[in-house]
Amino acid sequence: MSSDVRFTDFKSDKQPTWCPGCGDFGTMNGMMKALANTGNDPDNTFVVAGIGCSGKIGTYMHSYALHGVHGRALPVGTGVKMARPDVEVMVAGGDGDGYSIGAGHFVHAVRRNVDMTYVVMDNRIYGLTKGQASPTSRSDFETSTTPEGPKQPPVNPLALALASGASFIAQSFSSDAMRHAEIVEKAIEHDGFGFVNVFSPCVTFNDVDTYDYFRDSLVDLQEDEDHDPHDYEAAKEVILDSEKEYQGVMYQDENSVPYHEKHGVTEDMSEIPDGAPEDAMDLVREFY
Amino acid sequence: MAEDLNWAIGGEAGDGIDSTGKIFAQALSRAGRHVFTSKDFASRIRGGYTAYKIRTSVEQVQSVVDRLDILVALTQRTIDENLDELHEGSAIIYDGERSWDAEIPDEMTAVDVPLKSLAEEAGGAIMRNIVALGAACKITGFDVEYLDEALEKRFGGKGSKIVENNKEAARAGQEYVEENYDLSHLGYNVETTDNDYVLLNGNEAIGMGALAAGCRFYAGYPITPATSIMEYLTGRIEDYGGHVVQAEDELSAINMALGGARAGARAMTATSGAGIDLMTETFGLVATSETPLVIADVQRSGPSTGMPTKQEQGDLNMALYGGHGEVPRFVVAPTSITECFWKTVEAFNLAEKYQTPVFLVSDLAMSVTEQTFPPEAFDMSEVEIDRGKLVDEDEVDEWLDAQGHFRAHAVTEDGVSPRAIPGTTDAAHMSTGLEHDELGRRTEEEDERVQQVDKRNRKVETARENEDWDYREFGDPDADNLVISWGSNEGALVEALEYLEEDGIDVHVISVPYIFPRPDLTEEIEAADETIVVECNANGQFADVIEHDVLTRVKRINKYTGVRFKADELADDITEKLTEEVPA
Repeated sequence: MSSDVRFTDFKSDKQPTWCPGCGDFGTMNGMMKALANTGNDPDNTFVVAGIGCSGKIGTYMHSYALHGVHGRALPVGTGVKMARPDVEVMVAGGDGDGYSIGAGHFVHAVRRNVDMTYVVMDNRIYGLTKGQASPTSRSDFETSTTPEGPKQPPVNPLALALASGASFIAQSFSSDAMRHAEIVEKAIEHDGFGFVNVFSPCVTFNDVDTYDYFRDSLVDLQEDEDHDPHDYEAAKEVILDSEKEYQGVMYQDENSVPYHEKHGVTEDMSEIPDGAPEDAMDLVREFY
Repeated sequence: MAEDLNWAIGGEAGDGIDSTGKIFAQALSRAGRHVFTSKDFASRIRGGYTAYKIRTSVEQVQSVVDRLDILVALTQRTIDENLDELHEGSAIIYDGERSWDAEIPDEMTAVDVPLKSLAEEAGGAIMRNIVALGAACKITGFDVEYLDEALEKRFGGKGSKIVENNKEAARAGQEYVEENYDLSHLGYNVETTDNDYVLLNGNEAIGMGALAAGCRFYAGYPITPATSIMEYLTGRIEDYGGHVVQAEDELSAINMALGGARAGARAMTATSGAGIDLMTETFGLVATSETPLVIADVQRSGPSTGMPTKQEQGDLNMALYGGHGEVPRFVVAPTSITECFWKTVEAFNLAEKYQTPVFLVSDLAMSVTEQTFPPEAFDMSEVEIDRGKLVDEDEVDEWLDAQGHFRAHAVTEDGVSPRAIPGTTDAAHMSTGLEHDELGRRTEEEDERVQQVDKRNRKVETARENEDWDYREFGDPDADNLVISWGSNEGALVEALEYLEEDGIDVHVISVPYIFPRPDLTEEIEAADETIVVECNANGQFADVIEHDVLTRVKRINKYTGVRFKADELADDITEKLTEEVPA
């Protein structure tokens, strides 16, 4: 069946209410293409969405999905994958969801290395609440709640992932549709936690991190033939580069073993007997 | 009332008090005696007074009493802490060679045993508590061979040498007392029977219930006193293809469990204290996404960090009302250790049948108490699994709308919608914490909003009609005096009945395991002259609920010292309360 699946099968018939021109359209399209290209279909895919503009993605895509509590998308995805290693799990959220209220979960999801994909739609702003600073906003970015800027440097999510022991770190740009889909595809195919930070510009509230800014400044690692994503030191260099921003796969651990393989969590946990397990009286006898 | 013996060992945290107590409890259980244990402890790994207490009898025991017959005291504080419970027939085993001069009241029998020296002779000072157990065997006329069995169980994994040394240490204690003391005047003689019992605590019973019920995914964050559920499942759940994850916090734990449940696993989390506060964030999502989830709250003393190793039933309101908005739910509070098992099984069935969060509310007292039961009390062949409206691929069609969308939140007569899990062809759908239509898509349409709220509430009404929400009954059902309790107070209350009976006071006890939905007690309360609600909290949270249900005032017995009710103390409290004026 999966060979017949087209990316539009992952599209629901709800029309997105994102602002015209929002980067999230491109981000979502790339995710759908990547899912279809990797042989998944909506019935074996579980999308977990966070809260914020990005969180609406669960409604606009067609698959099994949960749109949950702000910041807790990764734990939900983790639970789905543990219970059903056969299901393709994709978690999507914004920069606020992932790096502010959910930052604690991000660190631990990264180091747990569960085989799922995490797409962060990073617009460096809180859009749904009409334009407040996000953890990735520039320190001088003026907003309604930070009239003089956030007065603190932005989080570097890639560095946070690296420090947490990530096995796959990538960055893409929603408007570079082909590359974005390709990068998400690599994240899906990665054996472990595939993390992609996607620049997904907010055309309404962010006049700094715009399409033009990313188009002009983003360096594609694919064009830099020297970059070897399996080289940790090289990855560190591009991730910690304070002068330039990159797209592409920064780092991929070739020896990554996903959580379920490492810990033998391979059963379909939805299957249980009609009564207590056959040998269950042994559990009682343990207490003799 | 059966002849019972009350024994305890106390010392500093880190002195091995707990494991020594458990060994003695195990030995008594092997000897066909019933055991009920309790612990006094502080939340420090080392330092601070801690004690393990055992009440044992050939008949079932289900409470502690204010009496201590044999005390192994490793510190003076152990003696001081227990002066109220010691009596002139008490024997206190202590080590006179240690640096402290034991101050033991004259009327009690001091049994000075060189625990450390004898242990060293047997192979190591670490076995001094085992020497004390040997001494206790002699004083109580208890065959040391039962202790051997318990030592084999405890140390068998560490090799025969360790087991033999411990057996020798026990005999050294036994022989020392035999040679140096004549204690026959104390009159302790521990009878044995041929009965086989299992010895377990409430958290182990919850964990075992979860495995029996098909729970395959557990996510939790360590917190006293809930952690031992997680510890029980770890290493066992894998045998059934399941897994335990230690999450980074409780916010994550409940969301992981929710994810597992959405993927089709029977999933649970357990917590206590501040952990349940954090989990509150997700209660509403569990309810609106209609996810079957069991959330255990092993209550401890609050608020805030409170007294983390002390007993309290202070979370009733939290379980009933926690979370913003109106969250349909079930609240089940097992009243005994066996019920911890059976109510856990039931909680999983309720969760899946009604696709609703189920709060399993236990408490610290039950979690640390080890009690004996005949193994048939956990008859696994009685476990029934009901997965509710979990649909397979053949049933999906009847739940599709005209466009072929699966109606995961279909408005039905009983309120329960079909449930499809990932991998079920043509049933892909979204669920959300946003108000949604039948397909799970966000809506703010007034009609749809009302339909969804009503259908979620209707599930509770359906359950109210279709399930048993009975209470447990003890004492004289026709008595004028009615005592109502919830959760773990049942055992003490049942034993208090015997004391009350001796004083000629007839009492009808109703022990309520279902907090929501709960049995309607109007008739019972109207039929009684006096109604008292007993609970381990200061404000009488259950009494409030009962007063609201029945629209009448009740008397209250509240204990919030951090220590569970004792049978004899409770009998006194009830006697006193019966004479009080009814509050206005």
